[in-house]
Amino acid sequence: MSQNRQYELVYIVSPDASEQAVADLHTQVEQIVQRFHGTLDKTENWGRRKLAYEIGHAREGTYVVETITGSGELMKEIDRRLRVTDTIIRHLTVRIDEDIRVADRLRSQRKATQARRRTARGLPPEPQPSERRGDRDSDDSDDLGLEAEGQR
Amino acid sequence: MSEERGGGRGRGGKKDDKNKGEGRPRGGFFRRRRVCKFCADKIDYINYKDVRLLSPFIPERGKIQPRRISGTCAKHQRALQTAISRARQLALIPYVTD
Repeated sequence: MSQNRQYELVYIVSPDASEQAVADLHTQVEQIVQRFHGTLDKTENWGRRKLAYEIGHAREGTYVVETITGSGELMKEIDRRLRVTDTIIRHLTVRIDEDIRVADRLRSQRKATQARRRTARGLPPEPQPSERRGDRDSDDSDDLGLEAEGQR
Repeated sequence: MSEERGGGRGRGGKKDDKNKGEGRPRGGFFRRRRVCKFCADKIDYINYKDVRLLSPFIPERGKIQPRRISGTCAKHQRALQTAISRARQLALIPYVTD
């Protein structure tokens, strides 16, 4: 029936809302996800952040990022619910499974090309730590860039 | 791998020479990048939540920097455009700044 896809949901909670209200919203989302047989993979709370521009009269807001696997109907329902919730000043849903797949493919392709070229030159397929030059550091990092958001 | 990169650099370098005359003068100068940042750093996914990644492509006014200045390749400029639009929607980046 419905396919499972991975989505990323970001919502901004109004600065007037208490910690408790933010937690409540999270459980609400969780309940919807469960009702539609999806899974909540990851939750990240960025805390209070200054907004780049005013939304309504708010100058800052609490950012929450949730990674959800589920169907389109699930996201539709979440979208509807968030839209009618007053404490949420902005939200955005992005489908990320395709992007992750593309990024994975690019990375493995790059590795394969590197290995092929290296073997053609008579070197071992993986670069050795001893021959590493300064600017090649990022060559085989497994970092997708998706993980980069943790550092703020 | 290094051969390919060398080639790309050569091409970029030629372009740079041609533009040398008009790039520098009046007002705020942009350091012209020879290669696409995302290709060079091997960034596969341009994350819209990563403001630090996007900010070099947003000049003071808040607009998206054109490709001819930043040197980003077409593919990555498209991805960057999407990422910036999303970031703007989430108030991570301003739409306009006066």
